[in-house]
Amino acid sequence: MSVEFAEVTVRGLLKMYGTTRALIGVDVAFTAGTVTVVEGQNGSGKSTLIQILGQLARPTRGEVRYGRLTRRQARPHIGLLGHSPLLYPDLDTRANLAFFADLYSLEASRVEASIARFELEAIADRPVRTYSRGQQQRASLARALLPEPSLLLLDEPSTGLDIEGIARLEQIVAEERARGAIVVVVSHDSGFSERIADRVIRLHRGRLEPS
Amino acid sequence: MIGFVSGTLRVARKDLTIERRTKEVVVTTALFAALVVVLASLSFYLNPILARRIAPGVLWVSITFAGILLVGRGWAREREGDPIRALLLSPVPRASIFAGKFLANLCFATLVELLVVPLVALFFHIDLLPTLLPLGLVVLLGTIGFIAPATLFGALSVRTGARDLVLSIVVFPLVTPALLGAVVATKELFAGATTSEIRGWIEILLAFDLFFLLAGGALFEPLMSD
Repeated sequence: MSVEFAEVTVRGLLKMYGTTRALIGVDVAFTAGTVTVVEGQNGSGKSTLIQILGQLARPTRGEVRYGRLTRRQARPHIGLLGHSPLLYPDLDTRANLAFFADLYSLEASRVEASIARFELEAIADRPVRTYSRGQQQRASLARALLPEPSLLLLDEPSTGLDIEGIARLEQIVAEERARGAIVVVVSHDSGFSERIADRVIRLHRGRLEPS
Repeated sequence: MIGFVSGTLRVARKDLTIERRTKEVVVTTALFAALVVVLASLSFYLNPILARRIAPGVLWVSITFAGILLVGRGWAREREGDPIRALLLSPVPRASIFAGKFLANLCFATLVELLVVPLVALFFHIDLLPTLLPLGLVVLLGTIGFIAPATLFGALSVRTGARDLVLSIVVFPLVTPALLGAVVATKELFAGATTSEIRGWIEILLAFDLFFLLAGGALFEPLMSD
């Protein structure tokens, strides 16, 4: 297992939504094998930062560098777990994972390995729309981690999970860190954050607070 | 990195798989399109001569309304659960996402048309056999000219809160030239014109289709990035 880039560098990031400044002059670097937790109140710009790191939004000004890769080269090496499952609700997990594995030109065996890793065997042939929140989160993680991303972005990953689910999530985050992935987590769950974080950064009204 | 054609086929196959499992889009839009034809025949039918004049309008109103429904539903599938974001992060060229969605929508529209065209012929006393090939060509080109821009701007419904409103407001004015060409060409065919007599309309439809297919491929990426 390897990572395609070992550092993500954010420089002078400004993001405007109309006249609202969501991020102002953010400079930060994320390194491989490190879990960074981004904290901040609602509306502080955490999710915007995740969106920009995940190339789902463009910065108004500033840049994000993914090691030596271009934005386009880096894109397939980004895994995202968002508020939504990012899965097709009418398809079952096996079909969803098979579709995404196909897009990443991955071997079919990776789908079964992923289903086993996230203990989805019993529900893998049921449409995703029938899942509980915890089951959806596991299926969504399986999708995000399928291509073994270099940059893993987790936006409120512990929301709605029970104690067992959170423990499993912590284990997955630890495994990804050990693999050498750059892990960036947005979370309001302070206990969860403390247990997984190597570093905590804090956003306040779009600005990065000094650590 | 997978290529444009390969990516297009994978995205289209995914939409066809979902449709095969749910049967939601084709069944509901086909029923709706059939209802439009039946109601129009009950309301407008006077005699076989007038029927032949009305039939092209009924056919294209039915196809257009069904088309807007099926394109909207196709994008709703990318919105519900937000899988479009995972799709946008994947190595598939973004133009392939547009082309794959277009291809799937075209398949669904064609299935609906396989019901609607004979139904219009039945209710409006049109003999399809002499015009089957040119009519098929006009219907195909007119459908591409409608589905391509609808698929392109339907993507906006994923990015904005306006949802299906975007489709109706943006797409209908844009596709008017294609619809006019398709309706007039169909009217001529029903009146007994030959393929060579409607060649001008076919060329207009071809140019329109080509423009929107190329524009779709080029504009999809900027439309999907805010």
